[in-house]
Amino acid sequence: MDALVVFVPLLPFIAAVIIGMGQLSGLLNGEASEGKTAIIATWAISMSCLLALVLLTADLTQENTGSLQIGQWLSSDSLNISVNFITTGFNVVLAALFSILLLIIMRFSTNYMHREAGFHRFFFILSLFASAMFLLVLSGNAVGTFFGWEIAGLCSYLLITYAYNRPVASINATRVFVTNRIGDAGFILGIGFTYSWADSINWNDLNALSEQLSSNEATGISLCFTIASLAKSAQLPFTPWLARAMEGPTPSSAIFYGAIMIHAGVYLVCLLEPIFEQAPLAMSILIASGALTALYSFIVGLTQTDVKSSLVFATSGQIGLMFLECGLGFWDLGRWHLCAHAIVRSYLFLTAPSLMHQVMDNPIKPVTPAIAKFHWLYMASLQRFWLDQITDWTLVRPIRRLAHDLNYFDDHFIDPFMGAPAPAIKTISSLAQLEERIIGARLDNNADQFAQSSGLAGKLTELLASLVHWFEDRFVLRGIGKDAIHLGRKLGQGANKFEQLILRPRYLVLFVLITLLLAF
Amino acid sequence: MSNSGFPILSLTILFPLLGAILTGVISNIKLAKKIALVIAGLELILTLLVLLLFNASEGDNFQLLEHYPWIPNLNIEFLIGIDGISVLFLPMTALLTLMTIAASWNSIQHLQRFHFALLLFLEGITIGIFSALDTVLFFLFWELTLPPIFFLIGLWGIGPKRRNAGMKYTLFMLFGGVPLLFAFIILAMNHAVDVGGTLPEDLSFNLPVLLKTQLPDDLQAIVFGLLLLGFAVKAPLVPFHTWLPTVTMEGPTQITALLIGLKLGIYGILRFTMPLAPSAAVEYSWVLGILGAITLIYGALIALQQTNFRRLLAYASISHVGLVIIGIASLTMQGIQGAIFQLFNFTLVSSSLMLIAGFIQHRLGSTESIHLGGLANVMPKLTSFYFLFALASIGVPGTSGFPAELLLVIGALTAHHSLGISALAGAVLSAAYMLSFSRRAFFGPITQAAINQTQDLRPRELALICAPALLILIVGFFPNTILKTNQIAAEAWLSHLLNQPAVRNNEIAGLFSP
Repeated sequence: MDALVVFVPLLPFIAAVIIGMGQLSGLLNGEASEGKTAIIATWAISMSCLLALVLLTADLTQENTGSLQIGQWLSSDSLNISVNFITTGFNVVLAALFSILLLIIMRFSTNYMHREAGFHRFFFILSLFASAMFLLVLSGNAVGTFFGWEIAGLCSYLLITYAYNRPVASINATRVFVTNRIGDAGFILGIGFTYSWADSINWNDLNALSEQLSSNEATGISLCFTIASLAKSAQLPFTPWLARAMEGPTPSSAIFYGAIMIHAGVYLVCLLEPIFEQAPLAMSILIASGALTALYSFIVGLTQTDVKSSLVFATSGQIGLMFLECGLGFWDLGRWHLCAHAIVRSYLFLTAPSLMHQVMDNPIKPVTPAIAKFHWLYMASLQRFWLDQITDWTLVRPIRRLAHDLNYFDDHFIDPFMGAPAPAIKTISSLAQLEERIIGARLDNNADQFAQSSGLAGKLTELLASLVHWFEDRFVLRGIGKDAIHLGRKLGQGANKFEQLILRPRYLVLFVLITLLLAF
Repeated sequence: MSNSGFPILSLTILFPLLGAILTGVISNIKLAKKIALVIAGLELILTLLVLLLFNASEGDNFQLLEHYPWIPNLNIEFLIGIDGISVLFLPMTALLTLMTIAASWNSIQHLQRFHFALLLFLEGITIGIFSALDTVLFFLFWELTLPPIFFLIGLWGIGPKRRNAGMKYTLFMLFGGVPLLFAFIILAMNHAVDVGGTLPEDLSFNLPVLLKTQLPDDLQAIVFGLLLLGFAVKAPLVPFHTWLPTVTMEGPTQITALLIGLKLGIYGILRFTMPLAPSAAVEYSWVLGILGAITLIYGALIALQQTNFRRLLAYASISHVGLVIIGIASLTMQGIQGAIFQLFNFTLVSSSLMLIAGFIQHRLGSTESIHLGGLANVMPKLTSFYFLFALASIGVPGTSGFPAELLLVIGALTAHHSLGISALAGAVLSAAYMLSFSRRAFFGPITQAAINQTQDLRPRELALICAPALLILIVGFFPNTILKTNQIAAEAWLSHLLNQPAVRNNEIAGLFSP
């Protein structure tokens, strides 16, 4: 029964390819072919769902061997990355659960997205996402999981920019993707450490080795994957991206941020249970981040008036609790919580539009009494604890300014310094040069000077002479003239400016960072 | 080393050169254009044939060798051949030239025959660079690329300062050529000293021979520095990069695509700088690593600040070079293979993105983000392809960028943790600059009236952009296809550097006073 696992991610992928090609070639376009697109996508996901259920049954009746390897994806020296799957336990349960939810949401979207401009695009992205998600939970090695991880993130980007005409949507999407990219960097770093310390990137091998890893190594690996999980599951300090992600159509919000993708972080942590058990530091970070996020989401959730944003903060709060449970060592509770939450939240998200329809948009809610008495807390809750602004202030803006400074430096210092001699290639560029040529004078030409020379020694002498002449002319003859003062002042101003620039926090941080990198 | 019967490598070099002459003399312009296209197509088939004849399991040896005397007095030979490192560059060059010719089909309005002849000439010369195994022959080809590029930028550039840009490029490259020649002469003289012979009978410019020649440590440092300097200008590494933004702004887009696509400088570092001065390369690999990290972050940060698509691509390309250099400096199998893989990826990605910039420029007369905005509304196909290439540039799984980046990061991490972390920081920044430009140019409402009347990709453009897009996806899903061709060669390359016999140090005196 193991072999079935291959088709679970493959079928939606094929559906995505067909829809994508159809759209690109113009075959699937407009309202007329909406039915075709929907049928292709729904069939693929139905078959995947069926296969996932068969796989689950087989696992429960213990007919699965637990893993399946179907070939090699990449090999370089001792780094061998194969295409392998885990066909037992929690992974299969999740695949089956997600496939059912995906099927429901896919069917829901067929009606919901009817006559939307990007109908085909939506189903292309949704199928691709389904495939990525199955790969994420079923893959037997870190790179396969990352494959799904990153493609799912990409689909989330594409769905947030679904209405790309709205500037806000695309700004938010970019912000979300770049934030997630930090988590992805953590993931890749984790893969790298896993390879260099455990010599294998298969999850099973890594978990089996957990006892042999030193405490530092286990902490290093689990910290990297913690960053990845926290970013993907929108835990503090990454939480603000989640609210920005609500720009997409409702079914996609349900699927990404209610039911499925948001849980990927918890899944990853649960998968690496044996490693985390060896790393108390990572566990305590899970506890801290989970508990803080739950609290944060609760307080901010109190002042939300929009149905989608209140659902979002409820979600991040629940996920915070899951991390808290995992951090405290109640792994099974965390897993059950994940499954239960996925079902409930996708129901809530899917009913949100009709709820809004029933109550005529958003009625204004009175302020929740729990928070009405604390003005400061109320303010903080409304502003979502200024997390976005703080990130802007500490990270985004300094980097932008640094980029700006470097750009200036590149244009005004490096380019002239390295640049080609301008007069040789510009020929006549000013009126003065033209007049100079007409009257035959060479105003700033060495040939007019007194010392003319040939040969190396002669040239050196001439150079020295002109240098001394310049010194004599500018400084000695004119005494402390206008030029010297001017020059001195300019130098002083330049030095001042340089020092001011260097003392800016962004440069201090940059220098500290470089020092750390070199010392590391 | 095996000699093949039929001189196929010479043919791949000479065929486009002859084609250039043919294109240049035919009076019918339309016919000349078609002939240029056919010749570029046949050349692609020829290079693919070379790839087919190439035996990957013996990739550490130079294959398809051809050997003719050229200047016998100085032992300079016409020696060409390929190995696992260089073989992929041949079809890439041919593919890029074919794409360039197709892209400039309508956008070149004057001196058309000269333009296409120069392109073919450049193609032949470039293939010569990738297959030359004699240092002087290599140098000849290296410098011969300058005249066609000078004219291509100066005559058909789109910026007002195109002449200036052409001159700037040429002067920079001439400056880079001097240390190269100097290093090659030192190597040749060292060979004469090493075998205990006399000048000029025992000079050697033969690369396979030079690789086996012992070089004293102090000379190694000099040779390494000279070769690195020479190739750093072409690569380009910070601070020798300033020619690239100028050229992208002033030069014609399709030529710029060719220029940033052909990673000649890095090829030179891989082929000459590191293996010819092995112990210096190992000793100073940290210098190379730091240079790479600086170039990577510096280029990425400046790219974040760009408003013009072409200038952004120039700095992105500089940042890419830094990433590849980090991989080379890591001196691990993953690093080297990742570097070669990444070269393949960036060649496709940056040149395709530049061609897309050319399509936009051709339609709207600008690639400045203030003149764009909302392009996705009117050009969905172009936007789709743009995104595919942008994602490959970021390194999203499914594209060829991902395996390359993964290998590079793992290689860099094993060598030194800081290098790996810098590479990852570069990856985050690359997502930031690529996507924030996409947002400004492709998303949002349409603000310029001209954009409403623009056409989506024409069939010709669609066809030419499909080839690299397919390659990116295929290689992204099956990376072993690329890795297999260079595995043996990379292993040999690395063991040449890491397992060298003890080097004699007292030879420096002997070199200059025989």
